[in-house]
Amino acid sequence: MKRKGTRILAFLLVAMMVLTACGGGNNQKNNTPGDNSTAGNDSTPSDTTEPTAPSNGGEPIKDLVTWETAGNREMENFFMIGTEQAKDLNVLCNAISPLLEVDPHGVLQPAVATKWNTPDGGVTWDFVLRDDVTWVDVKGEYKADCTAQDWVTAMEWILNYHKNASQNTSMLCAMVVGAQDYYDYTKGLDEATALALTTENNPEFDKVGIKSADATHLTYTCAQPCPYFDTLCISAALYPVSQAEIDEKGVENMLGMTNETMWYSGPYTITEYIMNNTKTLTKNESYWDKDASLFDTVTITMIEDVNMDDTLYETEEVHNTELSEANSKIIMDNPSDPRNEYLTETRLKKYSYQYQLNFDRRNADGTPDTNWNTAVANENFRKSLYYGINLKTTWARTNRVHPVDLENLCFSMKGLLYFSDGRDYTDAVIEKLDEIKAYDGENSRRFNEKLALEYRDKAIEELTAQGVTFPIEVNAWIKAGSDYAGPTVLKENWEGTLGTDYIVYKINEYVTSPNSEVVDPHLQSYYGSGWGADYGDVENFLDQIVIGRDYAYYANKYTNINELPEGSETRKLFEEFTAKVDEAKAITDDLDARYEKFAEAEAFLLNHALSIPSTYENAWQLTHINDYSKMNALYGCQNYTYKNWETSTEAYTADDYAQFKADFEANQ
Amino acid sequence: MFKYTVKRLLQSVLTVLIIVTIVFLCMRALPTDFFFTEDQMMKLDDQQKEDILAKAGLLDPIPTQLFRYYGQILSGDFGTSRRIQNGTSVLEIIGGKFTISMRLGLSSMAISLTLGILLGVLQARQKDRLMDHVGTVYTVFVNSVPPLVSYSLVLVFGSRVLGLPSLYSNKNIGMSSILPVVCLALTSIAHYALWTRRYMVDESTKDYIKLARIKGMSTQSIMVKHILKNAFVPLVQYIPASIILTFGGTLLVERFFSVPGMGTLMVDAIQRYDTEVVQTCVMIYAFLGIIGVFLGDLAMTLFDPRIKLAGGGETR
Repeated sequence: MKRKGTRILAFLLVAMMVLTACGGGNNQKNNTPGDNSTAGNDSTPSDTTEPTAPSNGGEPIKDLVTWETAGNREMENFFMIGTEQAKDLNVLCNAISPLLEVDPHGVLQPAVATKWNTPDGGVTWDFVLRDDVTWVDVKGEYKADCTAQDWVTAMEWILNYHKNASQNTSMLCAMVVGAQDYYDYTKGLDEATALALTTENNPEFDKVGIKSADATHLTYTCAQPCPYFDTLCISAALYPVSQAEIDEKGVENMLGMTNETMWYSGPYTITEYIMNNTKTLTKNESYWDKDASLFDTVTITMIEDVNMDDTLYETEEVHNTELSEANSKIIMDNPSDPRNEYLTETRLKKYSYQYQLNFDRRNADGTPDTNWNTAVANENFRKSLYYGINLKTTWARTNRVHPVDLENLCFSMKGLLYFSDGRDYTDAVIEKLDEIKAYDGENSRRFNEKLALEYRDKAIEELTAQGVTFPIEVNAWIKAGSDYAGPTVLKENWEGTLGTDYIVYKINEYVTSPNSEVVDPHLQSYYGSGWGADYGDVENFLDQIVIGRDYAYYANKYTNINELPEGSETRKLFEEFTAKVDEAKAITDDLDARYEKFAEAEAFLLNHALSIPSTYENAWQLTHINDYSKMNALYGCQNYTYKNWETSTEAYTADDYAQFKADFEANQ
Repeated sequence: MFKYTVKRLLQSVLTVLIIVTIVFLCMRALPTDFFFTEDQMMKLDDQQKEDILAKAGLLDPIPTQLFRYYGQILSGDFGTSRRIQNGTSVLEIIGGKFTISMRLGLSSMAISLTLGILLGVLQARQKDRLMDHVGTVYTVFVNSVPPLVSYSLVLVFGSRVLGLPSLYSNKNIGMSSILPVVCLALTSIAHYALWTRRYMVDESTKDYIKLARIKGMSTQSIMVKHILKNAFVPLVQYIPASIILTFGGTLLVERFFSVPGMGTLMVDAIQRYDTEVVQTCVMIYAFLGIIGVFLGDLAMTLFDPRIKLAGGGETR
């Protein structure tokens, strides 16, 4: 019996070990050559340009390992022009080559297009393309040449209603001549007919403003002058697709392409994709830019929890980590912690956040919230909120060292545009803002308690006469079960400055959908929103809050300004703002003058407290990557292209980063 | 037996059908906002959204959608994913994940059964002595500490002290599976130890055990031939279900160690309103659960000849 028991035990243990160790699943065949899941190990040297040796004594990393959060950043699509989601494009921008790229300063650089110009002030845009760009499969085998026709094919796909479900359509319809008409035309066709359409023998598509004279010449024609059209090359709407690839897969299978079936023309092929676990990018040996410094492999590890990257960095399983609020506090509060020497700050992310005031708030039963609507229509009330919130504690939650560097004073994003003399567009806006203090590195430039209380007193007087009762309820909404810390800080701050006899900040919860549960029934008093530009022009920001336009997302969704009564003071302010934006948009031959007009419009919006700017985003990190060497445009989808990144096997110190920043700013 | 099996299978089909219908209706009760990505919500106008919903058949009357769905299932078409992996067959998505969850789940089950039952036997044999107390402390600890805390402890110890990979990796399946498997096994070991000990202690106080002792049987023989065998009967009913349900993966462990298994799939699919994936997952889970219970019933008849599933004698 004893022997029998031992045998059973041995069998179970062997089975257990075999089950644990065996197998590999179908994905194993995709493993990268010479791969290694541990950070810091270098594989064979690259054939392409060797990266410059890092200044901190380390060696350039050959096999980069980085991370993303699985819950909200996992890819859903591999068809680049069939998606607008950052989670897809952050990976796919490495797989397909664009017409133009950006450098770390956000300046457009040649890519597949070696030259480009507009001979008529922004209506016609000519691009001259390289003739050595090829499409390859996941194994790097040649599939076809990448020619100007591929951009034409992509345009037909995007504008074909039945092929594309309206992805990437809106900007092209607004800018390219004939695009909207072709979209409407295909929408009217039955599905089979529309799917059969190509660029050949398609008289309706011939009317669209895109032509390829030959393999290397591409011309776009805009419906009206678009001086910023070339910046659209950074977005997915202007990426190519080969007709040969469509023919190979069949139209109906394009959307369902995978990393193994897609065609590549970019610096990497996606050799491994395991959902919620790993993506491995392997250098594309056929990539046209032989001068580019590329990694042999890039592994993107998907993690569940935002704190997990800190653990993985400690165990040297990833090359960078953005520290959580708690972990950065642990390190910073302990001066003897050796990691203090390595704490560095990321560059600002591309989103500009504001609180969008709702001018047509409803109660839960659908009746207008007259008390709030009357109050928010009063400029003194809005200004009391505008000047009365000190967001320093909010900014300190992500940046304990330099919280006021996250202060956003504008509607548009810092670094998006520059005047010809190098001045940042947002500086021109700030110059025009009322009562903004100078930067001192310690205090909010806008928060002004004295001024806020003056506006409060005026508002109380005027609103009492209009029958408003105090305190006025400010209704904020968060998802049930989510962190109360953010809204609680706002509550304490706003109520602390203005008094609970003036406003009461109420935190409400929605269950699943902010849109259907809060925004559509107009339940919010304000909505915190962040906008990242699609292309390099301020109109992409300001157009979101103009009155009387279908495309104005914030206006139609969050602020509900189109519901304001005709002739009301607030409506007049928005109409004046809209007219100023239109005036700026009409200037297409002098960019400085255009930006100056936009700055006037934006300052007008903010000086009347029609929107309340809140924050920028950045984080503290431990890293082996020099952020100042990455592509960085505050629009489009290229910032995650792993090309020409400066890295080191030794972690960068705060001193190294200070030097990177100084060098970067000197070259601005 | 045959009659019983056929009856149970027919009941199972009906149960799965009811579950699938309820889930289908629940998914249709969700706001259609979820059908769109955040970017689509911003950039598409209302007409475009409505056109897309209509094209997906989501504006048809619910009975029409439901019977269309039944038709698809009967023809073996489980549809394609729309958000988890756009345009890819649902079965293709599930196939790869199923294998991974099954491998980890079966590994942890093998460990749990071996160590759990062994621990339970040792505790029962040494009741109220050191080994029993050690086992009880372990059981209480595992059941009282929140799983995330115990997983974190395993992670920190495993990765920092033993140098094991923190996350599951396809490039190093054996080593990277150790921590998830240990976490999966932690609770199950305690579960099997607890119940094995309890049933064995119960059995050891019964009259037939006293009789066996009086007849001069050795303690070892009584333990194995009588106490363990009889104590195992109530446990065995749940083992097939436990094994089969491992195929479905576990949400927490898979999330924690980035295991690309089944456990996270359904939650992701619900969050992204990927109706086809949700419905197929539910159908699979329901099917596995029903099969597990059925096999449990069969297993009991094998271990306890007094139990008959149908016909004469005792029935259940």
